[in-house]
Amino acid sequence: MYRRMMAMSTIIDVRNLTKRYGDLVAVDHVSYEIHEGEIFGLLGPNGSGKTTTILMLVGLINPTEGTAVISGYDVIKQPLEARSSVGLLPENAGYYDNLTARQNLSYYADLARVSRVLARKSIDELLDLVGLSDWKNTKVQAFSRGMRQRLGIAQSLIRDPEILILDEPTQGIDPEGTRDIRELVKELSKERGKTVVLTTHLLHEVDKLCDRVAIMKQGKLIALDTIPNLTNQIKAEEGADFEEVFLRFQGVM
Amino acid sequence: MPGLFTIAKKELLDIVTEKKFLLIFATLLIVVLVSTFQGAQNFMEMSSSSSAYTTLEFSTSGNNSEPQIKTLSIGSTNLYWALYSMVKNISTVGGLLAIAISFDAINKERLSGSLKTLLSYPVYRDSVLGGKYLGGFAAITIVTLTTFMAGIGVFVGVTGTPLTFDNTARLLIFLGMSVVYLALFLGIGLLLSIVLPEPSTSLLAAIIIWLASTQLIPNLGWAIASIVYPFSFTTSGNIGKFGPSSAHELLRKVITGISPSASFEQTVSGILSTSKMEFSGYTHVNVPISLGQALMTCLPNLIYLVALLVVVFAACYVTFTRQEIR
Repeated sequence: MYRRMMAMSTIIDVRNLTKRYGDLVAVDHVSYEIHEGEIFGLLGPNGSGKTTTILMLVGLINPTEGTAVISGYDVIKQPLEARSSVGLLPENAGYYDNLTARQNLSYYADLARVSRVLARKSIDELLDLVGLSDWKNTKVQAFSRGMRQRLGIAQSLIRDPEILILDEPTQGIDPEGTRDIRELVKELSKERGKTVVLTTHLLHEVDKLCDRVAIMKQGKLIALDTIPNLTNQIKAEEGADFEEVFLRFQGVM
Repeated sequence: MPGLFTIAKKELLDIVTEKKFLLIFATLLIVVLVSTFQGAQNFMEMSSSSSAYTTLEFSTSGNNSEPQIKTLSIGSTNLYWALYSMVKNISTVGGLLAIAISFDAINKERLSGSLKTLLSYPVYRDSVLGGKYLGGFAAITIVTLTTFMAGIGVFVGVTGTPLTFDNTARLLIFLGMSVVYLALFLGIGLLLSIVLPEPSTSLLAAIIIWLASTQLIPNLGWAIASIVYPFSFTTSGNIGKFGPSSAHELLRKVITGISPSASFEQTVSGILSTSKMEFSGYTHVNVPISLGQALMTCLPNLIYLVALLVVVFAACYVTFTRQEIR
């Protein structure tokens, strides 16, 4: 599978990406490539620099050093072009509580310059896809955390982007909701050809979802490979799950 | 700028459907209607009696002789006296409304997490800032137009004053100045919402600035000028005068001029002053002030307000475009 991915073109190219806050190095010379159509997991404990990396990719934070290129566009020099191919579900994403699910998506569709006719069709389809059809005319203030996350995924898909960046998409969601989101991500990647970059603390989800993972620790990239290769690298016993592999890389076990 | 009008449209809809906006707008409208009605009645009384005065000048012919009245300048029956309360209410309640619209424009979205989502779309930060400002500006324009039309309607209805070309031009400049003044407070609120992370802190800071502008600086200007140049009886040749000296007035104007509210009121008072009544000896003379003269008098204040608006918006732009959104 990895060989198949190598043949694919690079859609995200990160080179020596660094972010410093005074003496604190939040992201320390991180480099990796993400290939078209793969599900790429960005893993690490809290404060390891995952979210900072993602925010640099979408231009919300300026890197201190390094470059990031998305779909051939430099995120600093051509921010609008780079962002055009990305759909982001930020960590702790917020929506407009005074608007309904449909109105929220309609607003984002307008921002993405999706035509009215297409937007109307897409909004219904997306709300159906994330299981919010029955609540499309309900104000978001009445939504549970899980419903908000689903709306977030629909929001990130409204402009039909090539790349989906999902920062903790299953955070605070019950097991059933987590499974639904996992299946949805799989479907988006395998059936719709989306490239998915996701961060999560649920390592068993990573095991089931990701083609490759990057493990970060204190701003540094400490491992980058497929899960079977990473397992081999640390010579984990047969049957060791990914959580164990991850903890060994972090030096916890 | 992609997304500018989409954001502005949403912002305007959000503002005009908010309860705080409707509450302050209704208060402003009621206060302006009532005060303009009273102002219009006073205007009619003053038209018949001409009793108010501002400065008394008199002459002395010798050291021991009784002073003789030389000149008495009085507040004449001009538009400013009639619309004084309306100007004052736009200055105070209007300023408060502008702040209420914008004090949480950015930090509320940052706290809720929607700013990250918004800025991940292919829109420039200029569009977000411009859209937020444009939406607020449209709301302010609606408020000013409505209040202005209602107030002028009451004034004309009560007094029967004809809307001549000169009067209409002055009123339209007053309307334009009100929009500029409220746009300035809108900008101040927006800047605070960018710089301060919590809406409660930006509201507090905005109220302090509003209080300083409407109350503190004008009072401070008067107090400092009175301490430095106290009221006194002064003579120049054989002309005597009791009251604030010209140095006192200059110092007071310089200090109060820092306040956008005082500057706005000074500008509008200059524009709406259609005449000044004076008398030499004991004879009243109604001296008309042309629109050109009025504009020249208040030009420094006008330039100051516009410059302040530009500076505030530039500060918003520089701060927001360089800010990291985490």
